Amino acid sequence: MLKLSRPPRLVFGIVSVVFFLAAWEVIAWSGLLGSSVPAMFTTLSHTFEFLGQANSWAVIGETVAMALSGLLLAIVAGVALGILIGLSATVRHGSKVIVEFLKPVPPIVILPVVVLVLGPTMGMGVFLVFIGCVIPILVQTAAGVVDTDPVALDSARSFGIGKLETTLKVVLPSAMAFIGSSIRITAPIALVVAVVAGLFGGGPGLGRLLMRAASSGQQTEVFSIVLVAGMLGLLFQSISVVAERRVLHWHPSQRVEETR
Amino acid sequence: MSKASIESSSFANIQARFTNRPVRLSVEGLAKSYGSGESRVEVIEDLSFEVHAGEIACIVGPSGVGKTTLLKCLAGLHPLTAGSAAIDGRTIQGPPAEMALVFQDYSRSLMPWLTARQNIRLPLRHLKLGTTEEASRLDEALEVVGLAHAGSKYPWQLSGGMQQRVAIARALAYRPEVLVMDEPFASVDAQTRFELEDLCLQIRQDYDMTIVVVTHDIDEAVYLSDQIVVIGQKPAIVTEILPVSFPEPRSQFSTRALPAFAEARTHVLQLIQQAR
Amino acid sequence: MRVLLATDTTSNKRQRGIPRRALHICLEIGVPIVLLAAWFISSQRSSNPFFPPLAEILNRFHELWLFDHLHSDVVPSMSNLVLGFAIAVLLGVIGGVLLALMRPIAWLADPLIHFWRAVPPVALVPIFVATLGYGNETRLVSIVVAAVFPTLIATVDGLRSVDSGLRDVGRAYNLTFSERLLVVNLPAASPMIMAGVQISLQSAFVVMIASEMMGTSTGIGAMTLLAQQSYASADMWAGILLLGTIGYAANALFEMARARILSWYFKAQKQGAAS
Ligand SMILES: Nc1ncnc2c1ncn2[C@@H]1O[C@H](COP(=O)(O)OP(=O)(O)OP(=O)(O)O)[C@@H](O)[C@H]1O
Ligand SMILES: [Mg+2]
Repeated sequence: MLKLSRPPRLVFGIVSVVFFLAAWEVIAWSGLLGSSVPAMFTTLSHTFEFLGQANSWAVIGETVAMALSGLLLAIVAGVALGILIGLSATVRHGSKVIVEFLKPVPPIVILPVVVLVLGPTMGMGVFLVFIGCVIPILVQTAAGVVDTDPVALDSARSFGIGKLETTLKVVLPSAMAFIGSSIRITAPIALVVAVVAGLFGGGPGLGRLLMRAASSGQQTEVFSIVLVAGMLGLLFQSISVVAERRVLHWHPSQRVEETR
Repeated sequence: MSKASIESSSFANIQARFTNRPVRLSVEGLAKSYGSGESRVEVIEDLSFEVHAGEIACIVGPSGVGKTTLLKCLAGLHPLTAGSAAIDGRTIQGPPAEMALVFQDYSRSLMPWLTARQNIRLPLRHLKLGTTEEASRLDEALEVVGLAHAGSKYPWQLSGGMQQRVAIARALAYRPEVLVMDEPFASVDAQTRFELEDLCLQIRQDYDMTIVVVTHDIDEAVYLSDQIVVIGQKPAIVTEILPVSFPEPRSQFSTRALPAFAEARTHVLQLIQQAR
Repeated sequence: MRVLLATDTTSNKRQRGIPRRALHICLEIGVPIVLLAAWFISSQRSSNPFFPPLAEILNRFHELWLFDHLHSDVVPSMSNLVLGFAIAVLLGVIGGVLLALMRPIAWLADPLIHFWRAVPPVALVPIFVATLGYGNETRLVSIVVAAVFPTLIATVDGLRSVDSGLRDVGRAYNLTFSERLLVVNLPAASPMIMAGVQISLQSAFVVMIASEMMGTSTGIGAMTLLAQQSYASADMWAGILLLGTIGYAANALFEMARARILSWYFKAQKQGAAS
């Protein structure tokens, strides 16, 4: 059973993809969903063509750039604010209601005002990504800081280690697992928000391209862009998972996951 | 059928009380290995023994020898690699309906979303006993393990020993013909332990159950058993099968004070140490 | 000596603790009020077209949502959200159970599920619009598709990681299939399932807004985007305020329900942490 499960899995994976593509082709040919579903082969070849153009890579690059720079800003600000919130009870309680309110509100809600102020620009996309990622990172970081072993803190204090040094050498490493998992969770969100910024805010990148293709009825292009966005999403997910493992390989939380 | 060599010491000579009763549980040439290919581990090589109806058999052996594995095979949870196990002559293929199992790891055998009473009721649901019969069984089982007051508590509100007693109560309420327990009294205090041992003797008497107990406690094995199955070595084989007989009814004070008791425990201890 | 020290610090804490807690509660309530007041006052004479006076926003909020557009826009949005979310959870759990039960189907479905989960759900909205048109079904289907995957995946993962000890109990006592599923496996997986359901709710909410921003004129999302495009910034702010409140309220309701359903789990965890 155990021995068998390895190779067939790959086979099953290939079979499932083939099956899916075949089903797609059948739907497209039969016109089951109207003429709006483009033929599978056409779409795939269009996708390859799309990926072969330098221009497309510039567009993909714009989306990735918005996602990554927004994420990076969110990490810097989120970790700094999270440490502040975690260390100071006053700040923690003062910000509690605001954070609790903003946490479940997705960035698409404030998209209209951000677009109004910043216009359909790259900066708008970056800001939206930033807003979408900063709250989860901040919340997780603060939780990690609060979770710091009080014994480690006490012993640092009793050795006369300064506040800044304690923060950097004791608090930050112990909160690292929380920060790492928050980044793993927010990286795919960053990509989604970058696409949303183009789709509904007119910002540069795949989102805008998708919107244009959709409103001009170019179905093959629409499907191709969605496929590309999916591959990009897979890439973001797997890189963030691997990166978290790499960075946190020493941490007990990683070991638990591996034994599972 | 083919019992391993029986030491001809004084206590072994005493005719067991159960040989005239039918064989309820029989194990023949049982072998079990986990995994396959390179990761294959042979845990049990060859075990054979028989337990007659109404008998209490204790299985003792060093840690990691495969006692839990044996019980899971008997309970039909693991397929055998070779040999056979049978209840009343019927080969065990899946979990037998006439058997109840008390697991070694009590914390992983009670559902934390059910109260003690609901946990005990769990295996009774599909028996469709009717509300009064079911309620009386639940009350009785809780009463017998001394948890009449704790029926509405959740497992995580109970101590380890109390949780294990809930697991025992669940098995009792099921009224199995064969009760199989894996180190059931390991996490209770000495006083409760004595009480549960006597409870074990009592339920055998009252319900004519056949009981198989795995234990690390040699005194417990000697006190409870009509038969001790010592297993040892890697992969595991039967080191010795030892009939045990004391004047009935047994009692914690008088039985444990018998010279034959001390003799038996010394003997088993030696066997286990040799088996390592 | 050690004991004395310990009691000393606790009593110390308690003495200072009472006014401190009061201070914290004041902060929790006070800071948002102060901020809102600051917004209100500082925006009072605002002539900045992007940031109209809060008073005007609240006024528009009142005029628009209470109750002019309640029936025409708020109710359709909300019913799409609730219905889409409910269907998605139902499908996700049922699909997850089937996949967890039937290994070969799971192997078949796994790669596809993981691909479609990685696709930003909002990117699918244009596809649904093109295939299903601009009707309400499109919005509902978009919400269901976006929200089904988190629950589905969490259900499969949750069922696969049910403790083998609990499973053995179910088998050893010959529980029926439905008992094993409903009384053992699903409850054991429920903490994980609920985590997935929460993400489903968030996705449903995002896609509710996104599907309304795509070529329709009804719904809160559509009204908010249209207000932005026509530079009616007070209306836009009113829409944002309403959407934010709905997002918050939906999540808060969910967490209340979860605390109820999983009360055994949270209490057991607390117990474990304490001992
Ligand atoms: N599912 C499994 N897969 C592989 N190996 C296993 C499995 N379960 C148990 N083993 C191995 O089988 C051997 C016997 O385990 P088992 O739990 O039966 O011992 P035991 O006699 O009950 O020990 P203890 O007295 O400590 O409970 C051990 O070496 C263990 O590592
Ligand atoms: Mg064991």
